[in-house]
Amino acid sequence: MNDQGQGITVVSLLLAGLLLYGGAGWLLDSWLGTRLFTPFGLILGSALSIYVIVKKMGGVKS
Amino acid sequence: MHNIVPLLLPLEGDTSWPPSAASFNSRPLFPGLGIDWVNNHMMQAVIGALLVIAIWLIFSHRQTVVPGKRQFLGEMAYNLVRNSIGKEILGSEFRPFMPYLVAIISFILVNNLFGELFLFMFPTFSKIGYAYGLALMSWLLYNAVGIKKYGFGHYMKKMTLPDGVPVGLWILIIPLEFISNFVTRPITLALRLFANLFAGHLVIMVFVIGGTMLIESGTLFYAAAGGVSILFSFAIFALELLVGCLQAYIFTVLTAQYVSSAIAEEH
Repeated sequence: MNDQGQGITVVSLLLAGLLLYGGAGWLLDSWLGTRLFTPFGLILGSALSIYVIVKKMGGVKS
Repeated sequence: MHNIVPLLLPLEGDTSWPPSAASFNSRPLFPGLGIDWVNNHMMQAVIGALLVIAIWLIFSHRQTVVPGKRQFLGEMAYNLVRNSIGKEILGSEFRPFMPYLVAIISFILVNNLFGELFLFMFPTFSKIGYAYGLALMSWLLYNAVGIKKYGFGHYMKKMTLPDGVPVGLWILIIPLEFISNFVTRPITLALRLFANLFAGHLVIMVFVIGGTMLIESGTLFYAAAGGVSILFSFAIFALELLVGCLQAYIFTVLTAQYVSSAIAEEH
């Protein structure tokens, strides 16, 4: 994968993490009437995104 | 001074101040006939498609071993896409995708240049529906070639599960990769094209409509500022020329990139 492709994959993954788990947290919050799960979901989502990014393209490859 | 706005912005739905999203509304071409979906922007896209077909037919018509000027120009344009996008990104498997890549880069380029061309002066892809349509085609293409090469199950596994993720995290990672590869990818592809052209055209409208209003205000100082504003809009047009070419290139590169990631061997 070239540099451009990596950049796009990173952006796409970060967005997906925030949308998916932030959105899930928001849904939980509006269902349960709490305000806890949205920030938790956002943080979990970004953490997972970064984990996948490192898994996919971390390390030194030639 | 009244005729500057229709000359520089002939296809806008609404040229009142301030310009807004309503300025991008389409007008039905034949009102009252029950075919309101045939509007000016759709007709522009059709004209763009016909132009692309005509240009490539002219380029490829009566080819000879020693190319003449016309054929040389066509081959140069084709080689640019083939070498800098096809071969560069797709490697040895580039050949079956060249028709799509060439078609899509010429179609986007022609439609973006409509934004700076008299008669039209409106980039078709500043209407988001057209950008979504293009992204949908690219999405169908890269998923179809991936499924064709690996089969449905294997392809889904390849696209949703990166190597080396421990089993405990699968339930969290698989939806994430799924959303990333199948939802945010096509949406960002469409939004990137749309937003660049929408914003550029909105800025042009601010300069042209605002400048015209200043000129018509009757005060000498305002009129001078309006004249400068109209002149400056031409600088923005030049910038939009660059943005239009760049976005056509980027859309095509990313399409090739997605195809390449769908058919790439695992490592």
